[in-house]
Amino acid sequence: MRLPLLAALVACIFSWPSAAEDAALAPNPVPLPLFVEQTTSSGLSHSFTGEWEFIVGGGVASFDCNDDGKSDLFLAGGTSPSAFFLNQSPQGGDLKFVPQTSGLEMDMVTGAYPLDIDSDGIMDIVLLRVGENKVMRGLGECQFADAGKDWGFDGGDAWSTAFAATWEQGAQWPSIAIGNYIDRTQEAFPWGSCTDNWLHRAGPESFDPPLPLKPSHCALSILFTDWNRSGTPALRVSNDREYYKGGEEQLWQLKPGQPPRLYSAEDGWARLRIWGMGIASRDITGDGLPDYFLTSMADSKFQTLPNGPQTPAYSDIAWSKGLTAHSPYMGEDKRPSTGWHAQFEDVNNDGLADLFVAKGNVWDMPDFAEADPNNLLMQKADGTFVEAGQTAGMASPDHAARGAALADFNLDGLVDLVVVNRNSPSQIWRNVTKDAGHWAQLQLAQPAPNPDAIGAWIEVRQGESLQRRENFLGGGHASGQAGWIHFGLGSNPEAEVRVIWPDGTIDPWRKIAPGFSQITKGEAIETWILKP
Amino acid sequence: MAISATALVVWTRPLAIQCFSAALIFDNDQVWNGPLDLEGHLMTVCFRWLRSALIVVATLSFSPAHAADPQQVLTQWYRLVLELVRHTPTYSPPVASRSFAYIGIAVWEVTASGTRGLQSLSGQLNAMPAPPARPEGSYDEAVVLQAALSAAVQDFFGNTGPTGQRAIAAMARTQHKIVVAGLAPDVVARSEAYGKAVAAHVVAWSAGDGGALVENMGFPYEYTLQDGPAHWVSTSAIRQQQVPLLPGWGKNRPLAMPSGASCPLPAPPDYSEDPASAFYAEAKEVLDVAAALTDEQKLIARFWSDDPMLSPTPPGHWISIALQILARDKAGIAASAEILARLGIAVSDSFIACWDSKYQYDLLRPVTYIRRLMDPAFQPLLITPPFPEYPSGHSTQSGAAAAVLTEFFGQDFAFTDATHVDDGLPARDYPSFDAAASEAALSRLYGGIHFRAAIDRGLDQGRCIGAYVAALKMKDD
Repeated sequence: MRLPLLAALVACIFSWPSAAEDAALAPNPVPLPLFVEQTTSSGLSHSFTGEWEFIVGGGVASFDCNDDGKSDLFLAGGTSPSAFFLNQSPQGGDLKFVPQTSGLEMDMVTGAYPLDIDSDGIMDIVLLRVGENKVMRGLGECQFADAGKDWGFDGGDAWSTAFAATWEQGAQWPSIAIGNYIDRTQEAFPWGSCTDNWLHRAGPESFDPPLPLKPSHCALSILFTDWNRSGTPALRVSNDREYYKGGEEQLWQLKPGQPPRLYSAEDGWARLRIWGMGIASRDITGDGLPDYFLTSMADSKFQTLPNGPQTPAYSDIAWSKGLTAHSPYMGEDKRPSTGWHAQFEDVNNDGLADLFVAKGNVWDMPDFAEADPNNLLMQKADGTFVEAGQTAGMASPDHAARGAALADFNLDGLVDLVVVNRNSPSQIWRNVTKDAGHWAQLQLAQPAPNPDAIGAWIEVRQGESLQRRENFLGGGHASGQAGWIHFGLGSNPEAEVRVIWPDGTIDPWRKIAPGFSQITKGEAIETWILKP
Repeated sequence: MAISATALVVWTRPLAIQCFSAALIFDNDQVWNGPLDLEGHLMTVCFRWLRSALIVVATLSFSPAHAADPQQVLTQWYRLVLELVRHTPTYSPPVASRSFAYIGIAVWEVTASGTRGLQSLSGQLNAMPAPPARPEGSYDEAVVLQAALSAAVQDFFGNTGPTGQRAIAAMARTQHKIVVAGLAPDVVARSEAYGKAVAAHVVAWSAGDGGALVENMGFPYEYTLQDGPAHWVSTSAIRQQQVPLLPGWGKNRPLAMPSGASCPLPAPPDYSEDPASAFYAEAKEVLDVAAALTDEQKLIARFWSDDPMLSPTPPGHWISIALQILARDKAGIAASAEILARLGIAVSDSFIACWDSKYQYDLLRPVTYIRRLMDPAFQPLLITPPFPEYPSGHSTQSGAAAAVLTEFFGQDFAFTDATHVDDGLPARDYPSFDAAASEAALSRLYGGIHFRAAIDRGLDQGRCIGAYVAALKMKDD
């Protein structure tokens, strides 16, 4: 590990930023992000494999299932068995993962999202599959068992590619949305054969039968999100225009006890038709509303509401923000890019959320880049972004990335990165950014139901600076995570936090210390320290 | 296989009369590739004919009846081609038009070579070499066509994605199974070899026209915009579209017209920001129309929007119209092949001519002018395409398509267009091809993406191209 680290540091010193970027960053010097690949040394050995039915998918779930505070990993395998890895990384040290039989080993898995479905305090997990989806009950100590029958969950038989979960107001059980792709039995004319997405709504003690969300347009990413801060999340759906006819991006209104209703042009919904593949969300513009980054091919969108939350009339400001992942930024291959998982996280702890985009060719598409590097778009003080993937060391252009997760695997306050590649080994990088800023990582808890407070908003204030993020479960590309919620604090260690809980309860502003904090509704904030 | 039925008729009638009649009947439908000379070698012909008939009857005794219809082969492959155009990322309208042309020509060449009274387009289309001759022997026209289409589609859509590749393979497999059923292996082999040879011939010829290689989805990696307020600037927030699409397409080798500049247009109204100018008036018309769009006008704009990646594109829309009419009227393979070839050539030459004019005048789009001078918040109904404005490509190619179809089917030929029913847009009825072309052209005004001059003169340009295509001689006198 030492040689790659040294090489990366040398690259950092001499190669980043470029002349043009240097000029852009000069007034506001920021810590330069740096990642070191530790795939082999960490023990994370796994591949997502498959042909046509696995051109999409390839997800990873990051979550703690043995209560040690460290995020363990579950990786989808496609035609290969999926795999679970226990996180044994020492705090502040190199990454270390150990494969462990968990009950989650099965084939045809496209993606996974962790969720405490039965609110028993033990994390469960939902597996998306080509075939029957599975809800797996956490038994403790990272063991799982199929709970479909017990929970009344009809896994169906489809090509499932997207997931989102929420707790509707008053519900004792989560509502789960599953995004489905095309009818895989159609060979010569698969176009226009998008199968229905499903809404598994909460019943009294289990799930109701799945409700088809008509029309469905081949979703590759879905997300329950409170787009207008009304207190009631809606379902944002990003669809792949390759296969739908008459389709577009979608936003479903979900009011408790009422059937889902699709927002339309009459509501102000602006029609958008892209190769939608992944959703990332964060309030980047600082208007108090979630913004959405959408991955696609040769293009990407960054959607904001310039006229406020009254109507879902989104504008695309990707280009003006520098939030584009349209073509490779390094190497000789200049063909258009293909974007998949996207996630906002502050990788250098400067107090500004950055954007990671996983990239990779669909499958021998000659008009798109084969050598397609992952993006790491660093936010600058002026709110625009600049590419840093090459010098940060996680570009990995020779692999076709799909799903990913950014999480602090070694609890050193720096967000690390795991990426699932199609038909080649998954990769993991340790974040070794030097001179990174202060940080706070928070964990929310509240009494059942919804013990992890899915749907809460967390706000961190430092003087005039205010960061907001929604505690959602969904989006990305077939990849979900639970656990520490990360905020970079920059050079100022002092910060205040406020949680707006899913039921609308608003906490007062309270000071938090840098480091790990557990915030339980109605209780004092507790500092968390890794048990020896 | 027409020869099978004919052979059975021959078998039941007095030999001399039937031999002569059968030869005539046979010659009307299928060219015999042996030494046919009715005047000098009637007996030889009769002998060979009877031998063939006997072979066929013998074959029928041991094989299932063969009923593959070339028309069905054509219909299935074109259905797939329309989907592939929609789902292949490089397939902007100009690129799509080119493939429609060459695939149509390949279909025509295999059909004409097997049908008496039809002529090759070689010698009429620019730089097109003579197609391969049919080696002596029996052919099955459905197998020939299947082989030609399979090879041509695989080539022209070789860059489509994994789902398209899977679909092409499935179509080839399915159609092959259908057409070869009951046929003698040597007939299948000979027919397939010939179909592939014609496809290869057309593909090789097409490679030198300037349009075979499309990089970065048609957007140049380097391009310098012209200075000046009249000239095109990007109207898109997509980074790839900050430069215009396919700026060199107008220099491609056309098919029926001599060059891309063969159907020139007068200049658009002089650029002016003076409210009293003709140019300002054209922009004002776009703004006013957009402000008062009726539901019907919105429907028209969307019906003819024909966006790449979301539809079969404008040229595919007209191919779809032709296919619907051919199916409705149960047209035979010869008529279908002629229409698809002429229409493909017309739309392909249209995009070359139109692009030649677009980059000659390099005019800005209405949205640019209107936001600059009239209404900063102007939002056209349709997404403004990423290339210069004058003339309207849809207008040019619709004018040409209507000219070709009118030439074939006649004036006041009513039809229903259900191209976009799958996308939720209802079918529309038209009293004539010209009416449909005019509506397609006007849809660009409703959509807020073209000025009036680009629409009217685009139609004129299309008619000019249509005349070149109409002059192609495809049948014997």
